[in-house]
Amino acid sequence: MEAYLKYYDLLELPPEATIEEIRKNYSDLKALYSGESIEIKALNTDFSRELQQDFLFRLDDAYAQLTLLLESKRPAVTNTAVTMDDGLRDWIKSINCFTGAALRNIRERMGVDLKDIFAATRIQPQYLEDIENDKFGSFRAEVYLRSYLIEYTRFLSLDTQKVLADYLPRYRKFQGHP
Amino acid sequence: MDNPGKQCKIWAVGGGKGGTGKSFITSNAGTCLALKGYKTILLDADLGGANLHSFFGLNRPRYSLSDFFDKKIPLQDIIVPTGIANLELITGSIGSLDSEGINYAQKQKLFRHIRALDADHILIDLGGGTHINTLDTFLLADKMIVVTTPEITALENMYQFIKSVYFRKMKFIFKTYDLNTTIQQTWKNRATYNIRSLKDLIAHLRESSDHVRGIFDHEMSGFVVLIVLNQVRTTKDILVGENLKSVCMNFLGLPVVYSGYCRQDEAVHDNINSKEPFLIFNRISPVVKEIKTLTENIITGTHLSVRKELDNGSLSKIL
Repeated sequence: MEAYLKYYDLLELPPEATIEEIRKNYSDLKALYSGESIEIKALNTDFSRELQQDFLFRLDDAYAQLTLLLESKRPAVTNTAVTMDDGLRDWIKSINCFTGAALRNIRERMGVDLKDIFAATRIQPQYLEDIENDKFGSFRAEVYLRSYLIEYTRFLSLDTQKVLADYLPRYRKFQGHP
Repeated sequence: MDNPGKQCKIWAVGGGKGGTGKSFITSNAGTCLALKGYKTILLDADLGGANLHSFFGLNRPRYSLSDFFDKKIPLQDIIVPTGIANLELITGSIGSLDSEGINYAQKQKLFRHIRALDADHILIDLGGGTHINTLDTFLLADKMIVVTTPEITALENMYQFIKSVYFRKMKFIFKTYDLNTTIQQTWKNRATYNIRSLKDLIAHLRESSDHVRGIFDHEMSGFVVLIVLNQVRTTKDILVGENLKSVCMNFLGLPVVYSGYCRQDEAVHDNINSKEPFLIFNRISPVVKEIKTLTENIITGTHLSVRKELDNGSLSKIL
């Protein structure tokens, strides 16, 4: 994962970015740096054909590496997503409060077993259960919980940002710093 | 003199090109802070033509900064009210910070006196140009703000200004470590090292030794310039600010934050010409909200990310 951070950095995205966000930023940056924008032209001697080519090459590389990374995780996700009908999707969309119980509810209605998530993410089922039981004490630091939640929500094709924004404040409150 | 109990924050507003609206942004960000209840003092240090007082419908104050330097009149005594609660003004004068007679020690003295003033925020309007005194004053501030417009000439001057400021700071820091010859020698032999830009120079120096790398990490990491984009006309213009963050990082190697923007509005023009404080007299121009947002972002150091808002349409389209 460490090696991928520099790719995310180059695309100006956090590591929890979705494939859509990666695609979007890639095309925006590509347009900015290959075009004739005033931001670039004003650089004068700080910009050259050579520097531009080098940068665009690194941009392409980052995009290729990240799509490869995310798509290698995709198969598991799409397998479960098949069972998601429109009714289920709308129901999930209407949820705003992602407590552990709500997350379990969603997972069970999708017919996904914790073992499936473990198989794809290698996150110990015990931790997944702790997430669903709001057992905040199991997570020494926010960074662990955060990365588990990202994997968990990605597997279920949930809106990662939305879940993080709702779930993490409760953990922080438990930890004593709101 | 030092009063650790109450430390005011010093904002310096500069940015190369003249006419980009530095005084407009300074006076209105100041008004915005004052309306929020912060005790705020504006310091007009525009070398070319100090006229911040005009934004408040005031005549040129009797005393100015040169009286502080030449006649040793206390700073406290050259402050004038602006007519807005919590907001006061100190006027510079032509040459007040320009003169070669004012050295670094005197500027530091000025800053000590400024910091000792009873205020929450002091906003310094620096005017255009890259005079050494302008750069030094900019560097002594807590918030280094650059006002530019989405025009190639303004951006060129802005890049030059940021680079000059960074280089000035780098030279100053290296001097305190007795390494000033290192920079000079490296720059002199730049062809040998294949150094073509400031970014190359920084990269080269960083790789020269762990000691130098440590100096960069320790002393230069806090260097962040805040960008305000003025006279924006289209939604595409708004994105220029966000692009600048990317461009400055990738091609100048310097971190900047996009604090906010103000659109081009005839109302602003009218208020300035009738010498009315814009934020007080105008309640309907969208610029009012834009000033509030950028002021808030400067206080918190927040980067304005507009791409998403533009995509989902939550940002009002200008055209």
